[in-house]
Amino acid sequence: MTNDTLKTREAISALADGQLRGQEFARVVEAVSKDDDARATWHAYHVVGDVLRSGDAAGHNDLAFVARLQIRLKSEEVAVQSADAVKLIAPDAINAGANGQFDTKRDSANVSRFRWKLVAGLASFTAVAAVGWGLVGGLSTAPTVNLAAAPAAPASATVVAIEQPQIMIRDPRLDELLAAHKQFGGTSALQMPAGFLRNATFEVPNR
Amino acid sequence: MRPMQITLFTGCWLRRVRDAALALAAVAGACSVGVAQTAVSPAPGLSSGPVETAQPDRGINEWLLRMHEASRRRAYIGTFVVSSGSSMASAKIWHICDGQNQMERVESLSGPPRSTFRRDDQVITFLPESKHAVAERRESLGLFPNLLQSADSSIAQFYSARQAGHDRVAGFDADVVVLQPKDKLRYGYRVWSEKRTGLVVKLQTLDVDGRVLEQSAFSELQLDAPVNMTKLNQMMSNTEGYKVDRPEMIKTTAAVEGWVLKAPVAGFKAMSCFKRPVAATETAAADNTMQWIFSDGLASVSLFVELFDRRHHGQEGQMVIGATQTITRRIGDWWLTVVGEAPAQTLAAFAQGLERKK
Repeated sequence: MTNDTLKTREAISALADGQLRGQEFARVVEAVSKDDDARATWHAYHVVGDVLRSGDAAGHNDLAFVARLQIRLKSEEVAVQSADAVKLIAPDAINAGANGQFDTKRDSANVSRFRWKLVAGLASFTAVAAVGWGLVGGLSTAPTVNLAAAPAAPASATVVAIEQPQIMIRDPRLDELLAAHKQFGGTSALQMPAGFLRNATFEVPNR
Repeated sequence: MRPMQITLFTGCWLRRVRDAALALAAVAGACSVGVAQTAVSPAPGLSSGPVETAQPDRGINEWLLRMHEASRRRAYIGTFVVSSGSSMASAKIWHICDGQNQMERVESLSGPPRSTFRRDDQVITFLPESKHAVAERRESLGLFPNLLQSADSSIAQFYSARQAGHDRVAGFDADVVVLQPKDKLRYGYRVWSEKRTGLVVKLQTLDVDGRVLEQSAFSELQLDAPVNMTKLNQMMSNTEGYKVDRPEMIKTTAAVEGWVLKAPVAGFKAMSCFKRPVAATETAAADNTMQWIFSDGLASVSLFVELFDRRHHGQEGQMVIGATQTITRRIGDWWLTVVGEAPAQTLAAFAQGLERKK
């Protein structure tokens, strides 16, 4: 890859992260709107950013796509380890230092992922684990306990209608709440020692 | 295919990779220190457990107290395995108590590296890959056995204990005790309690039909093991090179926040209520999500209430992972997420009962 291409891609990455200002911003927007390759790169960064952040937005209904991307991401980790680190780092350092084009106070597109991981106190979550999610449109119906006690015909009809399982990609926000429940909701006589060990040990498996 | 592989790591991505590499190097260093255990025997008195008497008719409170006391008086090292739904996780455990303070170290063996240290109710989790640590106080850890000894303890009202034979776990003989719920609003538990000490060596959560939803067990256990408390203390306080986060928990009450549970769910009592910024991401601001925690003594349910956000909160629904149920529901401008180790109908009853008062 030529140095120019590398620099352009880097600039597009910075643009996708909202780190460009003024002239540099205008120049890259222009490049993206004119050049097919640059536009493809721009799109790719957004897809990657979305997947890293939530595993959700980008491939909403396309699990196969997300799976492919993840395989690609995995193979890249290997590629980067074997690449010349100095070459990879140098242009970045130069751009950041000399041109001052990176507004480092702003967060990168992939920063939030690290933050929620941290706050939740767990190292990782299943972004792509497909879990059954029943559409409970009928949550407004009474819980089944009461239904059993008063088996009125219309009520049981609504309950039957609520089960429409669909595949849903897990939401990181939901994972945060699950983690918070495990951490602070472990108000149980079995918490010591088994519950605490269970929560400290168990983690939704990594993708 | 366009050559996008490498370009991912230019710009800011590159910095991430570099940071991760540094973090990994540091972890490798940290791990080689500290793991070594010196052969220090546990303090005198620890090894003499409670005298085993033939007592087949222990009530549920006696069983629970015995299990609790066992972990308070013991030092042990073991490998703990948890399986929930289709997934499994394991960790190496070190546990010690000097008669006053308890310490525990949990080192994950599966998934991303993670170490958790606990000194009584103080917990710190190290995430070596990101060089972050999360320090927090877990109030709930201190509640037991007070929870059980208090006059209004209702565990016995909603569960019964029944000894169901003997078994061997991790090479130890154990009493098998079934904690049977008396209604369908809670799950049951099957507990393996080590014969001599009472220590819980295996635990299963059972649904209303007796099917196993989740289980955890020691696959290997060394009782009265040489665990060095000083060393654990040192490791726990050595946060050098880590960015330590202390999640802010603001104590509040549901009434102050404008919420009321109009129909209480049988057996479940409100334990505590917090406002906590669960996360400040670009999709959800640090909005002080309220967490209202209920427990019947064995199971717990959290009600999370946050402002409704159309981009984020789409479909009301319910989800199951192992023994953990989740239900979401929109209440006007608010979004409720109920999470708990209880049957879906119990969570639905909470979701139904919550009402805005302001």
